[in-house]
Amino acid sequence: MKTSQAYKKAGRSAHVLAVLLVGVGGWTGQARGAPITFNTALPVAKGEFFFREQLVVNQSGDDPSGLDRDRRAEAAVSVLGYGVDSKLALFGVLPYERNELKLTSSGQRVTRRASGFGDLTVFGRYTLVQRDEPGSNFRVAPFAGIKSPTGEDKENDTLGRLPPSVQLGSGSWDPLAGVVMTYQTLDYQVDGQFSYQANNEANGFEAGDVARLDGSLQYRLWPRTLSGGVPAFLYGVIEANLIHQGKDRVDGTTDPNSGGTRLFLTPGIQYVTKRWIAEAAMQAPVSQNLNGTALENDYIARVSVRFNF
Amino acid sequence: MKTIRQLMMALALLLPLVAANAASMTYTLQVDGLACPFCAYGIEKKLSSIKGVAKVDVDIKHGLVVVTMTEGAELSEQLARDKVKDAGFTLRSFSRIP
Repeated sequence: MKTSQAYKKAGRSAHVLAVLLVGVGGWTGQARGAPITFNTALPVAKGEFFFREQLVVNQSGDDPSGLDRDRRAEAAVSVLGYGVDSKLALFGVLPYERNELKLTSSGQRVTRRASGFGDLTVFGRYTLVQRDEPGSNFRVAPFAGIKSPTGEDKENDTLGRLPPSVQLGSGSWDPLAGVVMTYQTLDYQVDGQFSYQANNEANGFEAGDVARLDGSLQYRLWPRTLSGGVPAFLYGVIEANLIHQGKDRVDGTTDPNSGGTRLFLTPGIQYVTKRWIAEAAMQAPVSQNLNGTALENDYIARVSVRFNF
Repeated sequence: MKTIRQLMMALALLLPLVAANAASMTYTLQVDGLACPFCAYGIEKKLSSIKGVAKVDVDIKHGLVVVTMTEGAELSEQLARDKVKDAGFTLRSFSRIP
């Protein structure tokens, strides 16, 4: 019984990390010179598609609970975007996940894991403000969508039902909304985003809602001086992600060892050509004010490519 | 002064094209909002989809797009404006190179 409770506790307090992985990695859908950890307001041309594949490794440890928990979530996040017209774009985001949680309970080291497709997120983004000038533009675009329960949420192993943090899906329909702004020049680009995801109950578990504020600066490092034509750009990228998650609820009761606020600082590099983009970034937690024994992030690493069709 | 520089730039881009095919019409589009390489692809693709377009050349630094037509084909300003808008940007000016 004690062991079972330990598993549940570990799963609940680590669940915030699963939400972070999907929340941070799942909305990164845009195909322009753009932020690496979140979206942008830049347009998707009417009738055109783009595709993005991002590999994400989310490592957590420093367990204050004494269970010596270690969680590693790896995901290949596929994003397809489509321009309905010059202002409305639709996005679909589907992660393939491999989640693993190790912990020590009653003197035994156990590993819980699951792999497969996770929850599909679909959302639409509409450009509300568009100011185009020679060599620069400014846009503001609200967006809204929903995370659907396509991932398996009742996976078992020899120890029984996997905790929520290891499950591939949440089992719930979770609406999300936000607004993103972009100011882009030939030399640099600034993006900012606020978003909110309301998580709902499934299987007796309800993850805390997630509110986040993101910022990104991309600065052209090369070529130092622009010539004619369409040269490739090398951007240096620095991003910040402030993420707050409310406490989870288990069978209607609030879990005091879940949720909290995290601030990530994210240096990165981005190579942008006319047809494709390659990029990498490392999210380092600079502040983690978490509730109870919620598990801390060590880092989140990202590598991705984007293609214009 | 800036306009003169842009005109000179357009002429420099156009010269070899005009020399290569004197019977083809060529147009210069000044596009606002164009500020990164990836964005240029959308403009190229949209303008290339127009019937009669032989070649599209983008100069991102000056926001210039030069459209070369096949022999006998013409490009209307409204169609060019619509295609630039479809790509998500704004057509500032449109001119035909004589």
